[in-house]
Amino acid sequence: MGPAGACLAPRTRTKPGDQWFAVTEMFERAVNIFWVLLGAAAASYAWTLGIIGSSGPDSGLFPFVSALMIMGSGLVLLLQPRDAALAPDFPRGAALGRVLGASGGLAFMAISIPFLGFAVAGFVTMIILLHTIEKSGWVFSVSLAFVSVAAVDWLFGRVLGMALPSGPWGW
Amino acid sequence: MEALVGLLTGFGVIMTPANLYLCFLGSLIGTLVGVLPGVGPLAALALLLPVTFTLSPVGGMVMLASIFYGAMYGGSTTSILLNIPGEAASVVTCIDGHQMAKQGRAGAALGIAAIGSFVAGTLGVIVMTFCAPAIAAVAIRFGPPENFALMVLGVVCTLFMITRSPVKGALMIALGFLTATVGIDVVNGRERFTFGSVDLSAGIELLAVVIGLFGVTEILSNVEATVKSTVVAERIRGLWPTLADWRASWRPMLRGSGLGFFLGLVPGGGPVTASFMSYAVEKRISARPERFGKGAIEGVAGPESANNAAVAGSLIPVLSLGIPGNPVTALLLGALVIQGIQPGPLFITQRPDLFWGIVASMYVGNVFLLLLNLPLVGLWAQLLRIPYRVLFPIVLLLSVVGTYSANKNVFDLWVMLGFGIAGYVLHKLNYDLAPFIIAFVLAPLLEQSLRQSLAMSPHGAMIFIERPATLLMLLCSAGLIALMLRPLPNTKGGRL
Repeated sequence: MGPAGACLAPRTRTKPGDQWFAVTEMFERAVNIFWVLLGAAAASYAWTLGIIGSSGPDSGLFPFVSALMIMGSGLVLLLQPRDAALAPDFPRGAALGRVLGASGGLAFMAISIPFLGFAVAGFVTMIILLHTIEKSGWVFSVSLAFVSVAAVDWLFGRVLGMALPSGPWGW
Repeated sequence: MEALVGLLTGFGVIMTPANLYLCFLGSLIGTLVGVLPGVGPLAALALLLPVTFTLSPVGGMVMLASIFYGAMYGGSTTSILLNIPGEAASVVTCIDGHQMAKQGRAGAALGIAAIGSFVAGTLGVIVMTFCAPAIAAVAIRFGPPENFALMVLGVVCTLFMITRSPVKGALMIALGFLTATVGIDVVNGRERFTFGSVDLSAGIELLAVVIGLFGVTEILSNVEATVKSTVVAERIRGLWPTLADWRASWRPMLRGSGLGFFLGLVPGGGPVTASFMSYAVEKRISARPERFGKGAIEGVAGPESANNAAVAGSLIPVLSLGIPGNPVTALLLGALVIQGIQPGPLFITQRPDLFWGIVASMYVGNVFLLLLNLPLVGLWAQLLRIPYRVLFPIVLLLSVVGTYSANKNVFDLWVMLGFGIAGYVLHKLNYDLAPFIIAFVLAPLLEQSLRQSLAMSPHGAMIFIERPATLLMLLCSAGLIALMLRPLPNTKGGRL
């Protein structure tokens, strides 16, 4: 529901003159510069693949056109004046912590799955997320993590027959 | 007549215990997804897509389609009782639906939303029954240049309809095209943008991208905000609307059905646009527009009908032309491609069992949904008590399982995480993510049509001008681009 639900949440937007507004403005410009550089790099790479060959269009044509569109759009965004009303509303404080925590949880799971398997990696990740981000109690976190992982493992691994990654102990 | 025969074939396909069960299961999951804030239909479809790999193509598609339209039914429950939309197409239902609930009329609002959804869903699928084969019959005469121009028109329409900034929208489309070219070029086997990586040579996995952009991004957006909400109605009574409610609602339902179906057909239209447009129309033509926002039942009946009719409308271009108009239909197209089926003009003649099975399942699914949503509304209201803090780690777990199960490759998890974080940041920077995914899904077909057109043309790109249908579609695209770039009143430039 992200975009839809977020519109109803009470938020404090940044305003011109606000230090955070300047930071977000710099970030937005950096992103626009990134588009230009990405487009330029991709276009040069696509050029090396060949645009038009002896038997017609070559492998580089489509990505070359796409890269030029990225570069052109990035340039327009870079040059157009910034609309203060559309300043990005990045999270700060506790909200930023929760976002980083959820991202970190996913990263931990991606790193640990090959070594620990799905069940253990998922169990540990859920406990960390519930206890640190959502401030749930230990008993609740451990219980919910156990039930959720067991349910997902049973549904996907046993009922639907998906080969979920297993750890060194075979599950 | 041909359509009726086809429909009977479809009912023959769907009326098996297994397919009916999958249709019911999809409707149930769809309603659940619609009811629970924080889990959108697209994320749910992406998460459950790997499950359909083990099913028959008919069973898998029936289940996915029923999740899509089931979410439209369920979304209204959360909007009315909590003032938080269960999914984006129900945002506008919050306005009058929640006011009705506060006035003690939650039952009437929920009842009219479910009945309006059923009426519009059924009307939409009746029109689809006759419309889709007719469109496919025309499109079957298209060659690569026409297909290319049609896809360009579809992408430009999407840009026109859904993006607030055409430049950002164009950038997302181009990024989607470029991302889709990563991997091996199927024409000559040359590697593109792989940089020697074995993981990249297989291309970027659609599931990882969709779950990242729409699942992980939703999780991050939702854990950021802490919205406390209370269910307005403890017990829901009087679900059957009164005579006065019926009198006030039947016209908005029909108008919403027509408008929704048409907007569903247009690429970029879809359920979200349809519900907003319907609300605006009802308010505009109302004799007492001041009632809107204060619990007008027309403000629930119109939009809820429109978003359901739009689902049927949006399935027509994807099934008869192979062109998705919104991210959900793009994912459905991806699901068909994964099953080895290429939707397009030949789809109906080559796979009548699948096409008519999906159509027939929508008739059945609408009945299931009416039964699920009216008598069981109390149960759905109880589910609203589940806090998001409990839900999100489970959704996160499902995201990992869903992504991993496609290729059994940990690399895909990193792709999902990368796209999730990128999607979250881009959403904050006011970029629409829908054009990216539509472009990503369409890119292989678009590139193939472009290359085939240029290879078969003795005069290069002139082939797009020499053929009347192609020229017309490209001129329409150019016209829409010009409309997007025109200076708006009270602004110095166009809506760049």
